[in-house]
Amino acid sequence: MKRIPGGWATLAVAVILLLPLVLPEALLTIFIFIGLATIVVSGLSLLMGFAGQVSLGQAGFYAIGAYAAALLARDFGVSPLIGLAVAPVATALIACIVGLPLLRLRGHYLAFGTLAFHLITLSILGEAKDITGGDTGLAGIPPFGIGPVVVAGPFKSIIFGYLAWILALLTLLFNRNLVRSRPGRALRALAASEAGALASGVSVGRYKLQVFVLSAAYAGLAGGVYAFYVSYIAPGSFPLVESIEFLIMATVGGLGSVWGAVVGATLVSLLVQLLQALGTFPGMPLRAPAIFSYAVYGLILVGVMLVLPSGIVPALRLVFGKRDRS
Amino acid sequence: MTLFLQYAASGVATGCAFALVATGFVAIYRVTRVVNFAQGVFAVLAGMLAFSLLGWGVPHILAEFVAVVVAGVSGAAVGWVALGRRDTTPLASLIITLGLGIGSYAALILIWGDQPISFDGLKGNLLVGGVGMQAQYVMVICMTGVAFAALGWFFNRTYIGRGLTACSSNPRAARLVGIDVHAMGLVAFGLGGALGGLAGVLLTPLQPVAFNSDVGIAINGFAAAIFGGLLRPGAALIGALVLGVAEALVAGYGQASLQSGAALLIMLGIMVWRASRASVLTAEEDNA
Amino acid sequence: MLEVRDLVVRYGAATALDSVSLRIERGEMVALIGPNGAGKTTLLNTVCGLLAPASGSFQLDGRIVQVPEGRQLFGDMTVEDNLRLGAWRVRDRDPARVFGVFPRLSELRRRVAGTLSGGEQQMVAVGRALMADPDLLAVDELSLGLAPMVVDDLADHLLRLNQERGMAVLLVEQNARLALQLCPRAYVLEAGRIALSGASSELARSPAVQVAYLGGATDEAAT
Repeated sequence: MKRIPGGWATLAVAVILLLPLVLPEALLTIFIFIGLATIVVSGLSLLMGFAGQVSLGQAGFYAIGAYAAALLARDFGVSPLIGLAVAPVATALIACIVGLPLLRLRGHYLAFGTLAFHLITLSILGEAKDITGGDTGLAGIPPFGIGPVVVAGPFKSIIFGYLAWILALLTLLFNRNLVRSRPGRALRALAASEAGALASGVSVGRYKLQVFVLSAAYAGLAGGVYAFYVSYIAPGSFPLVESIEFLIMATVGGLGSVWGAVVGATLVSLLVQLLQALGTFPGMPLRAPAIFSYAVYGLILVGVMLVLPSGIVPALRLVFGKRDRS
Repeated sequence: MTLFLQYAASGVATGCAFALVATGFVAIYRVTRVVNFAQGVFAVLAGMLAFSLLGWGVPHILAEFVAVVVAGVSGAAVGWVALGRRDTTPLASLIITLGLGIGSYAALILIWGDQPISFDGLKGNLLVGGVGMQAQYVMVICMTGVAFAALGWFFNRTYIGRGLTACSSNPRAARLVGIDVHAMGLVAFGLGGALGGLAGVLLTPLQPVAFNSDVGIAINGFAAAIFGGLLRPGAALIGALVLGVAEALVAGYGQASLQSGAALLIMLGIMVWRASRASVLTAEEDNA
Repeated sequence: MLEVRDLVVRYGAATALDSVSLRIERGEMVALIGPNGAGKTTLLNTVCGLLAPASGSFQLDGRIVQVPEGRQLFGDMTVEDNLRLGAWRVRDRDPARVFGVFPRLSELRRRVAGTLSGGEQQMVAVGRALMADPDLLAVDELSLGLAPMVVDDLADHLLRLNQERGMAVLLVEQNARLALQLCPRAYVLEAGRIALSGASSELARSPAVQVAYLGGATDEAAT
């Protein structure tokens, strides 16, 4: 597997670390969401690209992480920092419990199972009114902070920008090392053929569950940050289409490619934002934003998949690869 | 007791519609190994088109027939794009169908707006086995029966139906024998489109459809299709009926908001139970 | 009726066939032997139109039908369906003419193909190919995984088809002994090239062939 030349990666990291200071508030919000999406998608990409397991329900874990962090901070008086730290752990725990039976399913069965998981999660969150506030949601989430230092006011978005992206970069780093390690090789064997991996002595069930739980933890962590940033969450904040969006980001960026998560999350998010902005221009008919978004979103998806079926980053790697050889 | 039967009746009717959608998934998956995420869109398209045709004075039956044919043609068109080129993997095709489905929202909103649409189906009640049932329910069930019978005849008694099954059974051998597997894929997509369309014209009188109603329809159809491993229409029919009745019962006796969640849990439970009995190898063959 | 001239076929950067030439006359039985990976199946797939050559050409004067390696039946369909599907390219879909050659298949017609024994499956595969009324029957690895008695029986059938109907046969085989016994003429394909060709009787006596394919001793005194 070829690497993107080190120079580009360093440049990208430098740019990312500068942006929170430079971007205006509106763009900064988008920047934060892209960072959170990157965290989720990097886990999904690991799950799909290396463990070969399709998940159509990552947003379910995202929601669980958000609710876990929010409830701990608001109703159990836990400090937000601890709440954020516990979110991925709680999500991982639930993923473990759910994953044990769910991962007996394979291929399209599993895809459907994860989809069902997301829907069932939303259902439960909506029904448990006493705990979660039901469909009206959970308001009044305390602001994020460490001890007496509270993240609020004009610098909130900047700090969250750093928080989201430092976490994102850490997950990318962790993934990169994971992929190169011995468990990583086992994972790739899994993606190629389960029967083959079994025959080679890889304990398939255990690895599948571990990657599943890890990807859920990533999503839960991102969800926790999200909850503290927006201060209000409801089941409607995590619709089914969000799981599909994560899937699209992962596939467009390139499954199993570490930087693919960033590329996919960025491109898809920017596209959606651009179209919504375009559609609300003065003079555009009322339904224009929606029509624009759907039409171009669909076209881009179709176009990318037809022209670059493995995603963007692997295609770029091919180009870089050729240059390296010359 | 009559309350139970009424719930069951409505459940059977919606289950039949789901079965049609499910069979569309199965037809496409068997031949092309692609899961068509736009399967629900055909139903919505046909429902809305029938609404317009009826509004222009086209008589019933003809309006629905035209709508189903148009859905079939759009199915083939989706297939043509989704089957793509040589290097398009089934996963890429799946995403393409997803993209086409989302793109179709634009067209649907443009033509029909974003509000739910319905038209009148069969009015009145019929007495079936001593139970009063909405006439439209009976229509749905009868048409589904006819459709399944036609499909059975097509796949088991016609040469081209056998050709489609051959593509599903062994694509390499099918090619050797001279079958144009790509063309068969388009036929399968067309069939899936028509089946989805039929479900749409049957369902729309019962539940108004909007541009994004395809999600709910597709999820139910997919769940039922999974029951048969995306390969067996008979099992999909059973799954669809179980799903429809379960949802109706949960909505009737419990809370409507719980119905989809409960139904999904049941289906999941059944799938996991069956999966723990299968071995790795058979599962991989199923997904090959 | 089949003439192959300097055929070159590549898989990406790898050359599978390197300037291969051969010919098969009407009604001939010709063998193509060689080790695994020599390119025999590639050659077959190319002349059957499934692969495009990088260069070179072939001329086919009649219909060629392949009996593929590993049978490649429609496993979940009946024997009769398998046969009828074999006639996809021709008008006559009646399997009676194949039942005439393989009466056993008539007994098995309603059985699901995947449940048959290896030899029976091979019979179905050959029968399916016959349904298309080939002028040249190309059989890829007939003997693979089959007991010698079963193979002999199938070989007899092929011989009779050749003698009674004048159907040409191209026998692609790793089992050189069988191929050389059955076919009067043979080619040896090694690493994408025709290494040897000629009358089977002569090839069978050649020390190179004996050592490589017939399990002969390297000691010249043994010939």
